[in-house]
Amino acid sequence: MTFKHLFNKNFGKYLLGRIGQTIMVIIIGITITFIIPRLAPTNPVELKIQQMMVSGANIHPEAIRQFREAMNDIYGLKGTLLEQYVNFWGRLARGDLGPSIFSFPYPATDIIMKSMPWTIGLLLSTSVISWIFGNLLGGLAGYYSNRRWTRWAELLANSIRPIPYYIFAFILLIVFCFVFPLFPTLGAYDRGMDENWMNPAFLLSVLHHTFLPALSLVLTGLGGWLLGMRALVSNIISEDYVQYAEVAGVKKKTILYQYVMRNAMLPQITGLGMSLGGIFSGALITEYVFGIPGMGQLAYRAIVGFDYSLIMGVSIFSIVGVSVAVLIVDLLYPIFDPRVRLN
Amino acid sequence: MINAFKGLWKTSGYFRFGIVALVFALVMVILSFFSPYKPMASYKVPTDLPPSFDYLFGTTSRGQDLFWQMTFALRNSLGFGLITAFLSRILAILVGMYSGYKGGWFDKFLMSINDSFVIMPVLPILLLLNFLLRDQMNWFYMALMMALLGWAWDARLIRSQVLSLKQRVFSETAVFCGMRTRKIIFHEHMPYVLPVLFSTTINNLLWSIGMEVTLSILGLTNLNNPTIGVVIYWANQHQSMISGSWWWVAAPVLVTVFVFTGFYLLSVSINEFIDPRTRLRMKGGAA
Amino acid sequence: MKRLFWLVVSALFATSVVYADIDPNKEVIPGVKRGDTIIVEDPTGAITNPDSFNIWTVWAGGNGGWSHGLQQLAMDTLWLIDPDSGLAHPGEKDNTWHNSLAADRPAYNKDFTVMTVKLKKGIYWSDNVEFTSADVKYTVETLAQNPTALFGPQFKTDVKSMTTPDKYTIVFNLNAPNSRFHRNFTVRWNACWIMPKHRFEKDLKVATDLMTYNFNPPLSLGPYTLKDYDKHGGWFMWERRADWARTSIADFGKPVPPFVMYQLDLPNDKKVIAQTNHDLDMIHEVTPEGIISLAKNKWETNWFQGFPFGHPDPTLVAILPNNAKAPFDNKDVRWALALSLDITKVALASYKGAVTLSPLQYPPTGTSKKYYFDPMQGFLKDMTLDTGTNKAYKPYDTTVATKIGDMVRPTFGDAVPKDPTRLAAMLGQGWWKYDPKAASDLLIKAGMTKKGDQWYKANGEQFKITLFNWGTGNPTLQRLGTMVAELWTDFGIETTALWAQDNGTRYNLGDFDVNMGWNIESWGGNPDISFFADSMHSRFYTPIGEVHNGRNQVRYKSAELDKILDKVNLSDFNDTAKSAALGLEFLKLTAKDMPTIPLMSYNVMSSQDNTYWSGYPNFDKPYANPVTNWANSRYIFTQLKQMLPPKK
Repeated sequence: MTFKHLFNKNFGKYLLGRIGQTIMVIIIGITITFIIPRLAPTNPVELKIQQMMVSGANIHPEAIRQFREAMNDIYGLKGTLLEQYVNFWGRLARGDLGPSIFSFPYPATDIIMKSMPWTIGLLLSTSVISWIFGNLLGGLAGYYSNRRWTRWAELLANSIRPIPYYIFAFILLIVFCFVFPLFPTLGAYDRGMDENWMNPAFLLSVLHHTFLPALSLVLTGLGGWLLGMRALVSNIISEDYVQYAEVAGVKKKTILYQYVMRNAMLPQITGLGMSLGGIFSGALITEYVFGIPGMGQLAYRAIVGFDYSLIMGVSIFSIVGVSVAVLIVDLLYPIFDPRVRLN
Repeated sequence: MINAFKGLWKTSGYFRFGIVALVFALVMVILSFFSPYKPMASYKVPTDLPPSFDYLFGTTSRGQDLFWQMTFALRNSLGFGLITAFLSRILAILVGMYSGYKGGWFDKFLMSINDSFVIMPVLPILLLLNFLLRDQMNWFYMALMMALLGWAWDARLIRSQVLSLKQRVFSETAVFCGMRTRKIIFHEHMPYVLPVLFSTTINNLLWSIGMEVTLSILGLTNLNNPTIGVVIYWANQHQSMISGSWWWVAAPVLVTVFVFTGFYLLSVSINEFIDPRTRLRMKGGAA
Repeated sequence: MKRLFWLVVSALFATSVVYADIDPNKEVIPGVKRGDTIIVEDPTGAITNPDSFNIWTVWAGGNGGWSHGLQQLAMDTLWLIDPDSGLAHPGEKDNTWHNSLAADRPAYNKDFTVMTVKLKKGIYWSDNVEFTSADVKYTVETLAQNPTALFGPQFKTDVKSMTTPDKYTIVFNLNAPNSRFHRNFTVRWNACWIMPKHRFEKDLKVATDLMTYNFNPPLSLGPYTLKDYDKHGGWFMWERRADWARTSIADFGKPVPPFVMYQLDLPNDKKVIAQTNHDLDMIHEVTPEGIISLAKNKWETNWFQGFPFGHPDPTLVAILPNNAKAPFDNKDVRWALALSLDITKVALASYKGAVTLSPLQYPPTGTSKKYYFDPMQGFLKDMTLDTGTNKAYKPYDTTVATKIGDMVRPTFGDAVPKDPTRLAAMLGQGWWKYDPKAASDLLIKAGMTKKGDQWYKANGEQFKITLFNWGTGNPTLQRLGTMVAELWTDFGIETTALWAQDNGTRYNLGDFDVNMGWNIESWGGNPDISFFADSMHSRFYTPIGEVHNGRNQVRYKSAELDKILDKVNLSDFNDTAKSAALGLEFLKLTAKDMPTIPLMSYNVMSSQDNTYWSGYPNFDKPYANPVTNWANSRYIFTQLKQMLPPKK
């Protein structure tokens, strides 16, 4: 099976249709995330004014009235919803999400780009690691399902899953930062270092700081893959061809890795694609507990402050990320699984 | 039915564990109706006592008996999770089955809608909706919201299951024999779809309760009504883990782990029973 | 197996001891040693644009990034008022008043339309340029042209013109008589900071460029300059100026720490962890539970050196009923709400009993005991209400401090004094009685009836309250709100505590029943009430449905109050006795009217680590507010002692 083989006339048609569908899905998704925050009764300008008042600044009423008017002008919160919507697409076409409302006058895109590497770095690595280990363990557990340790592994994976992630992360924090202060509690790297990803000392520092959050994500992510893989493998080993291979005396290892796990991999690859697409919206609780300056925290702050531009920015990245991941997985599927016919 | 139960009880440790957990959950839920205190009433018992025979799960800094509070929390969280799972299952089955069997442009149309929901960033949207509906927010609306956001990936799974079933030899044989579509679906295919349904239900239950906990920890649910998340929220607001009243967090966490591990094992053992060939079981649930 | 487990545990423990070791020579950032640095919490959450130091806009730091050292260490203005008792300094009898950039107090003409200010000589910006009256004039002029700048609209409305007769004198000509105009330049939490004219003239092409200006790196008029900061907004490092003697802080002596680092975005649990690991010297605020566990350590200090721990801020935590909405427009109903509260439970649920209660519309802090609370005791004890069944009901209760003391003594032991006078000094001299009977009488007087255990209004509807509560960010006060809701519900008024994102918006619009919050904040050190009461004048009154711009969202209206406020506006601020007399009139009026139900001061559970630095302010040495984000917390740095100097 080669790529060349795939590119026949039928595939071209399928490809176009699939891409068209993806674009439509993206537009629907973005529209929904455009509308929802604007239905809210909260106005970011009022939030800003309250913040001033609560901080104890001493401002007199006439001044606040003038301030309110001028701010509405600056933030461009004028016009009907439809006008704002049309303007939004116009600006988006130019790659402009507008200024962030809370970090005025900085463009929302700049702020997102600053958070992006952290989220991607943390979630990409942990997703892949937990996927690999989860599948490996799950494969073994499914194939040697009568062994005692596989039953225990399964039970353990199962009991970690319902623990609220926040609690799990927090227990790690308490144990390894408070009871045994082995890891730093603050920041994503040592203070005063330049954010230079080429510098090995910087990378080491990032590793030291992100070890616990990564560990928490791997441990909680592993269980799902483990259970999924175990189930898939235990289905496959009852298939005829595996039975034949066993009767024919093929080595157990060969059967497991070549015959069983390879075939069981397919849905897991789909799942990985999906979860990789999802990393753009970040891991809010992880970032909150461990103080990682990523997309999850950014999204949360944007929502709390009704920073429309930032909310849109984060959502767009996430929507496009997931739908492209789904598209790629769908398109690659035939390469992994020759059984799937393109029709 | 009784024989099946007996058989399972004898052969499967998973099943026994699951039944114990189920009975425990039921007893807690029933007890909640006989609680001597209102769910959140303060200073009814001494504050900050560790678990003992008088107070099985200990007491909170606000003078609440955690055992009785947990009976409400479990009831509310389970009710919320089950309703979410039930509603989203209806959607997932309808969309998954229809699109799988009908195919053609209808399938494409449904799948576009389906994919729009798959790609939606769930947490940000939930946060926003929570802000929006704040005044009217109750657990039923929240279950409805979660159901709307939580069906799509499972519908995709069911659809793919149906697609693969359609191509199987026995389906074609059945068609040739003149079996009616409905009969094929319910008699021939359902046993294959059910295990998928079961495991996605458990996953969905876990997912929705996990989401509820996340939203509660951020303080975005109705904090006047105890759920597992709300109990943890108030423990946090009293810094219980730092100040040493660990039982305030341990109670909701251990109860959750026990009950849901039980549910999972129960579903696994029943699945094995329904589908003795254990041919098809798929992983489900968009995390 | 067991042996292996213990081996691992002890190995972990050994490493952790090494890691958490107190080491003045380890580096906080490259080149800066721990022993030379004081690490201070800034309670502002994470800020989204740390590159902006433009403190004259609301988006500095993206999220109110004013207090990461900028306003405490690098900014300065004409005067500062200390919320506590202040420090002695040359040229001024009143310790709470500091002539900072000004050489003297503000001087007004007779009808308060002209304010003349003499400035100090020999104050320098950190780039060696002298500070002069031109800087002050430039600041006001620039802000007046920017309606979205802080203080901008205010100056535009108030200031007719300015003249600078010489380098050290500035004269403000005002549009209307205003005896409190200097407030704009008088720091409580903050005030209008002075801009460096020479730098801004270069960087701003037109005045309105101010709104998009970064001011990075900031030019300092204070004793420290910015050394480095986190590009993600996590921390800001400030370095002492070699020429600190050429700044206004020299009045109090040399700032001791060579470096000050502000650490941001710390959730409550992390603060406790960080201070326990000696990574955070000054905590701004933590939960009562947090400070209780910290206070177990010998190296920790707090305001009271034990129970009740927290520093009472000059901010009055109150229940704010909507005075323009029935039935809260009825004084009797508001009184019923107050008398149906068991304040001891409220105190316990919120601060674990560590409260400073106030029955008056004034925070019980700073110098207010002397000016207001002691003189008011007689009035409060004699005050009577007509409950319908009792024409002369006395609502004041002086036993609450003792009651709370008895409740918390099992938890805190001997730290809770038995002497009622000492307890009253800590927990407050009194509050309103918990008297459901009197409260019921008042509701009946207001035309309500009780059916079953629920109250019904005169029109037959059930009396229900939606209580706008504090959010997650303030656990202590959120707990307070839920307790209030529970107590009213138990009394028969079904109350729901609600935290919603738009609570504030609805509060401003008057679309609410009862809000939890504060609308009264005093200067702390000075008895003048204009700071909070100005906008309660009926001139600024707005009906329900229109946004209120000020502190009277509860929409209280009183002709008597207007008279008092008019008198305040035309009295000399420097005449403290006069200010206090007018303040007493205000307190007597509002004590009877009960426009809001005052509860307690906002007690800030600040905690300090004495390992690297000591000499922090406390109850016995109240020279400054230990709360780290206040601009006047700058004084603390001059009073500290370095405990572990690093090796050179």
